[in-house]
Amino acid sequence: MNGPSLTEPRFVRWGLIAVTLVYLGIFLVIPLAAVFVKALEKGVGVYWAAVSDPAALSAIRLTLTTAAIAVPLNMLFGLAASWAIAKFEFRGKQILMTLIDVPFSVSPVISGMIFVLLFGAQGLLGPWLVAHNLKIIFAVPGIVLATVFVTFPFVARELIPLMEAQGSEEEEAAVTLGANGWQTFWRVTLPNVKWGLLYGVILCNARAMGEFGAVSVVSGHIRGMTNTLPLHVEILYNEYQFSAAFAVASLLCLLALVTLAAKSLVERKVRVGKEAA
Amino acid sequence: MSIELRAITKIFGDFTALHDVSVTVPTGELVALLGPSGSGKTTLLRIIAGLETPERGEVLFDGKEATHRTASDRRVGFVFQHYALFRHMSVFDNVAFGLRVKPRRERLPEPAIADKVHELLRLVQMERLSARYSSQLSGGQRQRVALARALAVQPKILLLDEPFGALDAQVRQELRRWLRRLHDEIGITSVFVTHDQDEALEVADQVVVMHEGRVEQIGTPEEVYEHPATPFVYHFLGNVNLFHGRVEGDKVNLGEFSMQLPTGAALDTPQAVGYARPHLLEIELQPTGAPQFKATVRHINAAGPMVKVELVTGSGSVMHAEIAQERYRQLQLRKGVPVFVSVKEMKVFNAPQNMLGGGI
Repeated sequence: MNGPSLTEPRFVRWGLIAVTLVYLGIFLVIPLAAVFVKALEKGVGVYWAAVSDPAALSAIRLTLTTAAIAVPLNMLFGLAASWAIAKFEFRGKQILMTLIDVPFSVSPVISGMIFVLLFGAQGLLGPWLVAHNLKIIFAVPGIVLATVFVTFPFVARELIPLMEAQGSEEEEAAVTLGANGWQTFWRVTLPNVKWGLLYGVILCNARAMGEFGAVSVVSGHIRGMTNTLPLHVEILYNEYQFSAAFAVASLLCLLALVTLAAKSLVERKVRVGKEAA
Repeated sequence: MSIELRAITKIFGDFTALHDVSVTVPTGELVALLGPSGSGKTTLLRIIAGLETPERGEVLFDGKEATHRTASDRRVGFVFQHYALFRHMSVFDNVAFGLRVKPRRERLPEPAIADKVHELLRLVQMERLSARYSSQLSGGQRQRVALARALAVQPKILLLDEPFGALDAQVRQELRRWLRRLHDEIGITSVFVTHDQDEALEVADQVVVMHEGRVEQIGTPEEVYEHPATPFVYHFLGNVNLFHGRVEGDKVNLGEFSMQLPTGAALDTPQAVGYARPHLLEIELQPTGAPQFKATVRHINAAGPMVKVELVTGSGSVMHAEIAQERYRQLQLRKGVPVFVSVKEMKVFNAPQNMLGGGI
């Protein structure tokens, strides 16, 4: 306990804690609990039927596929971009950093529209795609593209400050000891940023699986074909199948909870790593 | 292995870090690159290591062209100013790194690597701490690990960037002597960068004094200290007294007294500045007939082997003299006593455009 002169009066402290808890309760805990309550309202049988419905399974598959493509791609991009920005001096570095933030600052709907404008039947590349029998919009490639676009800042944003803080002296030391570029990357650079990288990947994955706006624009909502989990929830909801909608939504909530747990675990590791540095 | 740098020029954007620098380091010598910050000494060291590429000029190892060899190919040991230990590796793994990244056909088996690492850790007295991480070590310990790591690959050249810069005074003294001993034991050609003149003069065989990207003087510690080639070297190495004056014929008039110009001292401007180290000033209580100037004792510091005497001349400028304890007792100097000061030896240069410090 701190001395009385150093801290606020007791009622202020308890007041602030109470406000925080009530606020969290109203806006976070109750809605989250409501999802699970609503999902299991008509029994486990209905819940199970909803999540094992072929359309739901297809949505789960598509969501996992999309994340499986978008996350590794953005991990590679994030590593490359943050390496370039943190370790080299070049013209237009500031512009590059601003560009990386574009998906954060643009509404997801617009992100989706960009791809419709580019690849849609009336879009810039539309005629060429039609001529070559390629389908991007209202198909899986469009969903993947939109997801990649929306999630690409996560890893880079996490790694740039970390790499900038670490500088490139350790890499230079590795090189003077005879290591080649590949060895330097695997043995020095990657181990130094691994927790930051994992943290970025977790956030990127959460967004890739949960993205609604951009994907909704390019998907076309073809059940069993171009429906991701969030889109499937919306369809069920619009069809007044509330229990089913919440059952599928509960899967997304579970994913969020797992992500949060993983995130706090990694955060602890990152903090330990930073203190050790 | 000898190092030869020929007419190295390095430019960063619109800043020229090195102008036409040429330095030769003979095999087995310990050479100091000495200069204030921004003098280009670290850049020069990084060019030897291959971490920077010069715009012009050549780097030769043992007479063979090395300018375009990569840093990993040069096999030069480099100790970084802030050590750059791999933070996620133990002391042992740090030292083993260079041995483990060798191509498979040159790589030793792991037990042989372990033997070698332990041998190196013994050499730098770090064997007990081989499992520690760099965050758990003191500055001096990190320094020694960095050195062991650099020596592990048996480099022919060892480069050290401000090796003692980040350590406190006591550790610095110890490590300095230890480095000199180590160098004498393993006899590796070494170059280290420092801004500390004492460090350079105490440890090095040769000192390269640098200033604003140029070499001011190269010589043994005695040469650069006793016979500075330029006013800058005079200022940078130790305390110095300045005498402003005019050249007339073969004499230079410095305020209250005049001195014969040293033979061969070519001066092309009438304005001149004389430089004399404090130990070259002699203090008398009576005029001796030789050129002298009058001064008053302002402060005496008698601690240490030499007595430091601060003098004020009639015009108010301050001079520093160092005299032996014996002479000090003879003279029985006290604060406020008027004295006569002569200069045993003085080096006269043209007056530079913007003069540093005061003087007569």
